[in-house]
Amino acid sequence: MNNKTFIIAGIIIALLIGVLAVFFASGNPDGLESTALIVQGQKTLTGDTPPNAEVHEDPTGKFSYSSPMTNYSLGENIGPLGGIIAIVAGTLLAFLLVLGVLKLTTLIKSRKAKSNQ
Amino acid sequence: MHIPDAFIPIPQGVIYWIIALVFVALALRWAKNEMSEEKIPLIAVLAAGIFALQSFNLPVSMGTSGHLVGGALAAIVLGSPFAAVFILTLVLIVQGVLFGDGGITTMGANILNMGVLGGFVGFYSFKGMMGITKNMNISIFTAAWLACFIPALAAAVEMFFAGTFPLIEGLIAMGVYHALIGIIEGLVTVIAIRLIIKARPDIVDIRDPPMKGVNV
Repeated sequence: MNNKTFIIAGIIIALLIGVLAVFFASGNPDGLESTALIVQGQKTLTGDTPPNAEVHEDPTGKFSYSSPMTNYSLGENIGPLGGIIAIVAGTLLAFLLVLGVLKLTTLIKSRKAKSNQ
Repeated sequence: MHIPDAFIPIPQGVIYWIIALVFVALALRWAKNEMSEEKIPLIAVLAAGIFALQSFNLPVSMGTSGHLVGGALAAIVLGSPFAAVFILTLVLIVQGVLFGDGGITTMGANILNMGVLGGFVGFYSFKGMMGITKNMNISIFTAAWLACFIPALAAAVEMFFAGTFPLIEGLIAMGVYHALIGIIEGLVTVIAIRLIIKARPDIVDIRDPPMKGVNV
């Protein structure tokens, strides 16, 4: 498989996984959130998570930041389409960010090599 | 196991950030030394894949779900723990800044857990397991499982220092859940590496053990 095919196939697979995740990913809390729910008395170790369980966050002395697409969503009104847009944007951005930083590091390297000649 | 801002006081977050930045600098040096023009887009594709897989939470029973983190995957495929630090750092930046998945002041801790610990545990346990078992699937699965389990215990200790979880309760719950989530990490990592080897055996940096010095 040449580079071009690998890149295109890779990105398509990544986007496909991401879009499927919007519809089929589990809504249960992750391991860290589940542990927080236990500590906060809303859940037992082996028991199910109650539907109204929510991790309480104490913001005193902590930093607070509101991201543009919290929870991989563009809000309730747009629904799954917002989720798809968010995932596609994130996947492509991860690709471009890694591409950009790597290009930059090799550029710096070749500049240095030239100036050392 | 993305730690949100509200789970760690700012001064502690700064300490984790400082330690993480040392490893990020080393990861940038790895990128500068190891990169070739044709390899760059392939690594970017791997990052896109890890981002997408991280959004796919699968149920693991007990009201909990989990997803691949990808530290072992990146480190094993690219033959260096710093590959994991590099890719996970950039993925965590996108997740934290754009999606609020993992905090900003806690990003250092998240980089340390998933990138540094995940990468180093994944890479060296893979090497060790290959030496013992000579079986690639078993070695990858074990390495990826450990690269999920050990960082989860580290996160529990950090949560104890932060005053967010009690030590023993936190270690037990994080350990139990991530022992299960680690099975996802193991299976997905085996499948992903098998697929990558099939498509592009040349980019996968799995040398026969004992391996020569690790290129940093």
